[in-house]
Amino acid sequence: MQRLPSVRCLLLVLILATPGLCGAREYLQVFVVSPYLELHTGPGRGYPVFNVVDRDGSVDVLVRYTEWFKVRTERGVVGWVAEADMLHTVLADGSPFTFNRGDRAGFTSHRFELGMFAGTYGGATLISSYGSFSFNSQLAAEVSVGQFLGNASNGVVADVGLTHVFMPEWRWSPFVMLGTGVVHTEPKATLVQPVNRTEQTAYVGGGMRYYLTRRFFLRAEYKSHVVFTKLNSNEVVDEWKLGFAFFF
Amino acid sequence: METGIRVLLLSAVLALGGCASIHHLFHRHDDTDAQAANDSASADNDAHPPRVIDPDVERRKIKVPQIRSHNVEFGIQYGALSVENFGTNPVYGFTAAYHISEDFFFQGAFGRSQAGRTSFETLSNINLLTPSERYFTYYDLSLGYNFLPGEVFLGRKTAMTSSFYLLGGIGSTDFAGDSKFTVNFGGGYRVLPTDWLAVHIDVEDHVFQSDLLGVDKLTNNIEATIGASVFF
Repeated sequence: MQRLPSVRCLLLVLILATPGLCGAREYLQVFVVSPYLELHTGPGRGYPVFNVVDRDGSVDVLVRYTEWFKVRTERGVVGWVAEADMLHTVLADGSPFTFNRGDRAGFTSHRFELGMFAGTYGGATLISSYGSFSFNSQLAAEVSVGQFLGNASNGVVADVGLTHVFMPEWRWSPFVMLGTGVVHTEPKATLVQPVNRTEQTAYVGGGMRYYLTRRFFLRAEYKSHVVFTKLNSNEVVDEWKLGFAFFF
Repeated sequence: METGIRVLLLSAVLALGGCASIHHLFHRHDDTDAQAANDSASADNDAHPPRVIDPDVERRKIKVPQIRSHNVEFGIQYGALSVENFGTNPVYGFTAAYHISEDFFFQGAFGRSQAGRTSFETLSNINLLTPSERYFTYYDLSLGYNFLPGEVFLGRKTAMTSSFYLLGGIGSTDFAGDSKFTVNFGGGYRVLPTDWLAVHIDVEDHVFQSDLLGVDKLTNNIEATIGASVFF
């Protein structure tokens, strides 16, 4: 039994080492067409240049970290190359080396978004995050999950719906939303013992997104939820929130 | 004698001319045969269109290798959490981050600790909270900013990239039977022994409004952790 912790440690090391044990793999080879390609010691603008590859030389692209590519030269030197410099390389057939960049064109047309918000839900403080998948530059499916914390009740709200962006190429681009969801409400204890409840909702809303820089944009939105209660009339809850998001 | 030689030469010239005529006749006959063959082939072509040459070579499919990205980070952390008025206790947690640029990253964190007893509880020998209410559970969504990037050197041959970072975000804390809106902020230091492994030291403050001890006030709950994370 005393050996158990060491076995756990071994397993942990194995799990952590798994990404490094992928074995030999084929790397993309690109050729330099600019006068030279600078290699930095680390993935950041402040790391010094310690090596260069001349025109027509080639490098293997090992891995990418944000705006930096780790490459290996023909002589086996490993270093980091900035995204902007990698634009001046070509593939073996002479075609330009292209890759997904976080820029204004990416803001207009991208596949995925993730974001976080702060706001209010029926007067309670709301913390929320969302993810979306874009079918094209204008239409996307979205899932959002949030928690509201109020004086009278706490709860969780989850929505799924469609978003239509008008003028996705504009820096300020408005959008409308439509969808459904659920809300789980936990009223706080009073003289009468409250009962937790889960109800279905439907919402319609709209908002604005504003491109900041790189992969970032701001997003502000309003949703009007109709909560289908068991009472005689449905309840309407307003949700306002502001946050930031990024695309990839 | 001379006349005989002339007759012989004349006969030879005539004979050669006749042979040439005969050869020409035969040659013309060959042409006629070839023309006939061509006419026959044209007739065949009209009936069956010529076959397009189909080279028996498969087109090469060039597969461009995918470039791996190390932008997603999952980590575990362990340390101490000081819950205001409830002492300092061990805390453990999990983090997930997406690195958006070399400067910014987006992080979600979850942590749990168990608060101790207040001095009031110790002195008066009563319990303000049940054991389950003493669990201090939080989550937060933060934006991180890397600054002062650098390198750590181990001996002459090993260099590891490193960075300090600031964190700020919002979340929720579940403590004493209630959930509170929480603002978190802090900082940390990260060293990467390899491209895919990082070691962190973090200090963060979780601030929320609490009236647990009779006065509604902001409580500061400071957490110091050490952790490891893997990039995917």
